[in-house]
Amino acid sequence: MAKKGGSSARIWFLVHSWLALPIWAFVFFVCLTGTIATVSQEIVWLANPAVRANPPSADATPLGYDAALAAVERQRPGAIPLQIVRSVKSQYALQIDVAQPDGATATLFVNPFTGEIQGQQGAFDFQQFTRALHGWLLTPFTSGFAIGWYVVSAMSIPLLGSLITGVVVYKKFWRAYLNPRLRISKGSRIFWGDLHRLVGIWSIPFIAIISVTAGWFLIQAILFDNAISISTVGAPPIVAREHAPTLKAGETPPKPSVDRAVAAAKERFPDLEPGLIELPQNAFNHVMIWGRGGYPLIFEQAAVNPYTYDVEWTRRVSDRSALELVTESMRPLHVGDFVGLSLKLVYFLFGAMLTAMSLSGMMVWTRRTAQATVAVARGRPVPAPFPEPAE
Amino acid sequence: MTALRALALGALIVALSPATPALAHYPFCSCEKHGEMIRCKGGFSDGTSAEGVKLDVIGYDEAVLIPGKFGKDSVVEFRSPPGDFYVLFDAGPGHVVEVDHNDIP
Amino acid sequence: MSAATLDRSAASRFWRRWRFHLSALVVLVPIALTPLYFRQLALENGTAGLGAREIGERKVGPWSVRLAEFDLLPPQVQGPAGPVKQFTLALAGAGVTEVRAAYLKIGKPRSLRAAGSIFFGSPYRQTAGLPIPERTSPDAEVWLTLEGWDGSMQTQALPLAEASPVAADWLRSRNGGKP
Repeated sequence: MAKKGGSSARIWFLVHSWLALPIWAFVFFVCLTGTIATVSQEIVWLANPAVRANPPSADATPLGYDAALAAVERQRPGAIPLQIVRSVKSQYALQIDVAQPDGATATLFVNPFTGEIQGQQGAFDFQQFTRALHGWLLTPFTSGFAIGWYVVSAMSIPLLGSLITGVVVYKKFWRAYLNPRLRISKGSRIFWGDLHRLVGIWSIPFIAIISVTAGWFLIQAILFDNAISISTVGAPPIVAREHAPTLKAGETPPKPSVDRAVAAAKERFPDLEPGLIELPQNAFNHVMIWGRGGYPLIFEQAAVNPYTYDVEWTRRVSDRSALELVTESMRPLHVGDFVGLSLKLVYFLFGAMLTAMSLSGMMVWTRRTAQATVAVARGRPVPAPFPEPAE
Repeated sequence: MTALRALALGALIVALSPATPALAHYPFCSCEKHGEMIRCKGGFSDGTSAEGVKLDVIGYDEAVLIPGKFGKDSVVEFRSPPGDFYVLFDAGPGHVVEVDHNDIP
Repeated sequence: MSAATLDRSAASRFWRRWRFHLSALVVLVPIALTPLYFRQLALENGTAGLGAREIGERKVGPWSVRLAEFDLLPPQVQGPAGPVKQFTLALAGAGVTEVRAAYLKIGKPRSLRAAGSIFFGSPYRQTAGLPIPERTSPDAEVWLTLEGWDGSMQTQALPLAEASPVAADWLRSRNGGKP
């Protein structure tokens, strides 16, 4: 690229500027909320002691699922469990969603060692709100994907475009890895320009990951809303009518044992670590166990019959097509939630850097434009659009 | 609905958790007459195929006239039986679509 | 660009100064939608009641249920499955432990197997998506089927216009002049 004429560099530069400049504030907002969303679970952990696991003693052992559910039942008579979330991070309490006799669903934070209900999710769920704000601008999902989902995920196009044109425009950018330059005292335009380039080169892989995965979110919505499926998952598993027992008057309907269901699933997949357990939502629904196996990016599933405890349907990494392996890895790659705190912090750092990119890009442009305008007004020559890395 | 919508979006929903995108997938089945033959196409609203799902042709007296299953192409073809009948797409209890023979164009 | 172009009206100066920052106005969208977001959340987790509009209490055989429209929207097209309308149901009294499953269907079910769309949720509150094809008559009936743990089947019909006035109106406007 370095040998090319100045005019093509100028065009690339203009493309680079115009891709993001008119929408920089929106991109800034999306990057900022996304950065916060990355660590929203950790923020909640810091802010709300009820969501922490709090072992009563150093040698405490966690309760089984059934014991935890029984403890919830004792503390909330009549509550019916709907799902159990066990975080990949052991410092988090169990989250058990229950249906209450008044019809409302509550998310309870349950101590995994004692079964004590430590607290309950209030109406404002910070984690959920940040994700909704970042992912779809709170627009409603009525039929198909929300309009905000499209608007936000479409930002993947200017983001990827900015990355590509930025790399093309920034001649011999690799030199800057060894000779980083951030001039603070030479005026704000120089500072913002240096910052934009310095942060930019270090963010190339992250921006690539974020923009490509966000592009998949756009494609995913388009596919879903047009009823185009790339899924090999097939028809949903449903419990056969003859498996549901017929009871005599006065007999109480069977309650599924989550421990037995998990044991049945683990017999099939010994390395399954349950992350989400959905209890049957009607008499012909399975206990659905979601968990990570060997490949941390993808959840595997086992549907266990709540009457016979047979594993009747599974969905493993090996059941996926190559295309599904790629596409289903997109969301975890976008949010960075598949390792633990360390990766979350890496994502947070790079997210903050990307947020700074949209701001510094705008700063460079407006400073330059302001200078150019003043120069024109005073009859002086306009500086070149993009300062070459002269040295 | 949780189970269905979780299936619809896979692990995406695990993180989006309850109370957001209510994207279930609903069964559908549409049938057409081709001369003597009736051709029914089934599936789910998100594009999932109906492979392996039962499709029975049932008389008004509730006798199963032609039992069937969807193949790889999500289609079942059968010879139109005499008399009154309906077609039942049956993926399991509560996941059914009924098509009356009078509604088959 | 000449010096004269700098001498513009206040409006165009404002435009020149702020045009590249106007995308910040997108934040008005979530600000405006925040109340709706929380209303929707309350509706989905049941803290706002059974649904957006209670249809009322119904006796179905020995059991009693409360039925509601989940939202006040007309049936929403769900891809090739066509328009679907969400209803919520709560079992009351003995029904909480005696009812195995509940189904909803347009028209009288021919059998338990063909009873229609099953409800998902808990006995206290469960949701079903009822397909309402455009060719449905606005005078059609919605049939609720309850299946007992004892194997019994009970049904109860109510006019669609009573179950969902908005769906009946929508069908009337769709069918237009057609009978």
